[in-house]
Amino acid sequence: MTRQSFLLFATSLTACALLAACAAPAQPAAPAQPAALTPAPDQPTQPPAEPTQAPAEPTQAPAPAASPGTVVIPPGSKIRIGGSFALTGPIPDPGKDIRQGAEIAIDDANAAGGVNGFLFELVAEDGACSGDQGTVVGNKFAADPTIVAVTGGTCSGETFGLKPILQKARIPFVSPSATNPAVTSEDCDVCNRVALSDGLQGEVDADFVYNKLGFRKVAVMHDSSDYGKGVAEIFRDAFQKLGGEVVAFEGAKVGDTDFRAPLTKIGSSQPELIFFGGYATEAALITQQMKEVAGLENAKFMGVDGAYTQQYLDTAGAAAEGAYMSFVAGDTQKDKFDVFREKYIAKFGVEPEKLGPFHGQSYDSVLLIVEAIKKVAQTDSAGNLVIDREALIKAIRGTSGLKGITGTLTCNPIGECGAGGVQVFTVENGAFKQVFGFGLQ
Amino acid sequence: MSLSGTGRRGTCDCGRQFQSDIVSQSLAVATSLQRRAQTTRWIARAIALLICALVVARAITVSLAESYPLTFWASQLVNGLVLGGVYALVALGYTLVYGILLMINFAHGEVMMIGGVAGFFALQLAQALGWMRGPAGLVVAALLIVMGIGMIGAMFTGVALERIAYRPLRNAPRLVPLISAIGASLFLQYSVLLIFGVSPLVYQRPALISGGFRIGPVFIPYTGLIIFVTSLALMGALFVIVQRTRLGRAMRAVAADRDTAALMGVDVNQIITFTFLLGSALAGAAGVMLGFHNSVIKFNSGFIPGLKAFTAAVMGGIGNIPGAMVGALVLGIAESIGPSALGIPAEYKDIIAFVLLVLVLIFRPQGLLGEALAEKKV
Repeated sequence: MTRQSFLLFATSLTACALLAACAAPAQPAAPAQPAALTPAPDQPTQPPAEPTQAPAEPTQAPAPAASPGTVVIPPGSKIRIGGSFALTGPIPDPGKDIRQGAEIAIDDANAAGGVNGFLFELVAEDGACSGDQGTVVGNKFAADPTIVAVTGGTCSGETFGLKPILQKARIPFVSPSATNPAVTSEDCDVCNRVALSDGLQGEVDADFVYNKLGFRKVAVMHDSSDYGKGVAEIFRDAFQKLGGEVVAFEGAKVGDTDFRAPLTKIGSSQPELIFFGGYATEAALITQQMKEVAGLENAKFMGVDGAYTQQYLDTAGAAAEGAYMSFVAGDTQKDKFDVFREKYIAKFGVEPEKLGPFHGQSYDSVLLIVEAIKKVAQTDSAGNLVIDREALIKAIRGTSGLKGITGTLTCNPIGECGAGGVQVFTVENGAFKQVFGFGLQ
Repeated sequence: MSLSGTGRRGTCDCGRQFQSDIVSQSLAVATSLQRRAQTTRWIARAIALLICALVVARAITVSLAESYPLTFWASQLVNGLVLGGVYALVALGYTLVYGILLMINFAHGEVMMIGGVAGFFALQLAQALGWMRGPAGLVVAALLIVMGIGMIGAMFTGVALERIAYRPLRNAPRLVPLISAIGASLFLQYSVLLIFGVSPLVYQRPALISGGFRIGPVFIPYTGLIIFVTSLALMGALFVIVQRTRLGRAMRAVAADRDTAALMGVDVNQIITFTFLLGSALAGAAGVMLGFHNSVIKFNSGFIPGLKAFTAAVMGGIGNIPGAMVGALVLGIAESIGPSALGIPAEYKDIIAFVLLVLVLIFRPQGLLGEALAEKKV
């Protein structure tokens, strides 16, 4: 029966396609062949096993092929810092903003002379805000022996894709914007971030809704991403702990556009507020569609930092009025930020706020890496710049009192380096206005 | 088997005994294979029945425990009918093409997306010209123009697809055009990504069609009503075209037997192009209406609806036009009512769609309204 087997094939193809579309981060694939010679091509990540293989004459080694525990940069080459940015996927604008913030930081570091005459270079890759793509980018960096450190990833799921690979490859990373609490952990010495953890954001949001707004009955939604579901769970638990009632905990998927069915279900229990963990587009569509659902006419909407963007305001339009949004803000240093903003606008022709909120954190992530490299880099007799990977990992974790544009950065023992606090905004006349939290006069 | 048997008998009559041995053996193998296939089918049916029983039991216990009011189910039904209307318009394109070419046009979801993108730019233009703020008549005319441009954009894409990706492969084995279709789908998605960027294109609803009205406590959004009514009207128009016009008769003739239709003087290429034109126009309309209903269109907006519409077409009996409509409405309703009725989180609604598909295929492999196809197609 060719017809039946054909249909069966087509159907299973459909199912595969759908599964692939919403799959969890895949296992790390085999890393691509390293660009330059390394002692163990299929395990570029292992600590030195056979130092004999490496050429012992540093004076005659133009290519960086020393022991894998160090990066050797010959004169005339640049110090390559990898970047995993969500340039496609659900939040392309914030991803672009983060990339551009990093580029300004690289420009500043180079304008200040680099390190011992060596300049920096940003190797930007698209992490696409997904675990799968984070894995791909991670493998790419791990296979490239010239990558010294990584800034990113943008999203939590993407960073979960990067984390095990970079940990094995001994490449330290600093994420400007991944907020899921599990991005940093005790067992990961290469994992650092400048953004604040959602552990804090979820709790401040719950406190705001319970104590400031006085709501007792809320519904919680999320987009099933590592980030969105993570912060939604923290909010739910914190709100219940305060004594509030969470009448529904409903999921959707990143990329969904019709939320009316789950909203109708939520509407039947008439919550006073819907808390949504997820990104801007889905947040905006929920804000719009909840006005059409019985039982939610007077309910408020609250989103989190992933939705705190101009794109949310543009997509939701008039429906956004009165919505709440929280953000993990840095302790912005106005004088430094103004200088940064001027350079950013001059270089890219757009105001950073129009694209996304994390440009400052992105600048500081690169700054943190650059300052650590300055501390550990040494020049050898042949004029090469030598960076010891383990020393760099320790130097980044040991950052203390570094003055960035999001405040004074000090990394704690598990790699939380950010300064600042959680802010809550409301939408008023098509713009965000702070109503609660960190730095409010 | 009978053919090869005859040949053997013609060339050699010395081993009759031996030959009959082979025949009886192969017959025995065939019967045992058949028996095994039948056993497998019964096991599949038994499992499917068990699943059905479990689902029904779960639905009853959950609805007793949750005790949602009747208006709740009515609201979910409205959501489901709107969703089903969109799926139906797209599913018709799958089914029309399958009926005529026996191929699955996996790029059809992208045709819908391109219709939505074309409609978006038409809407931008209409807004720039101030038509969307004019009197109601002007707004309605502008909306119709926007939809027309979306349909034209989709029609252009569909016909180009047929010309470039499918026509050269028309006599190739059946998997080849399927693979070409998947390639075309990716090509269209990423072309749109490259040209229009990755940020979603936001449809601004004019005031005339934002909001909605109430029947009792059940809220019906205007866009939802428009989708449902328009899809019914378009489906009616399609039915008339297929059943009452000369072109429709030619389409049915090509579907029944392409070679004989060609011998009777039907221009097969023209009919196939026309089929793609019809299917793509419906998909383009769906894309524009989805844009108004859900506010955003982006490069991958056609992917999931395309898969769902394909599911609906198979469920209703692929190649069968009323089947696609029934399958789509059943799927839409199951997706919106299912999660509440079964008490499962809404992010698993796709599971409901595909379990339903598997159940339908087990009990009625030809689909809900499908009929056994002519000998030639099997």
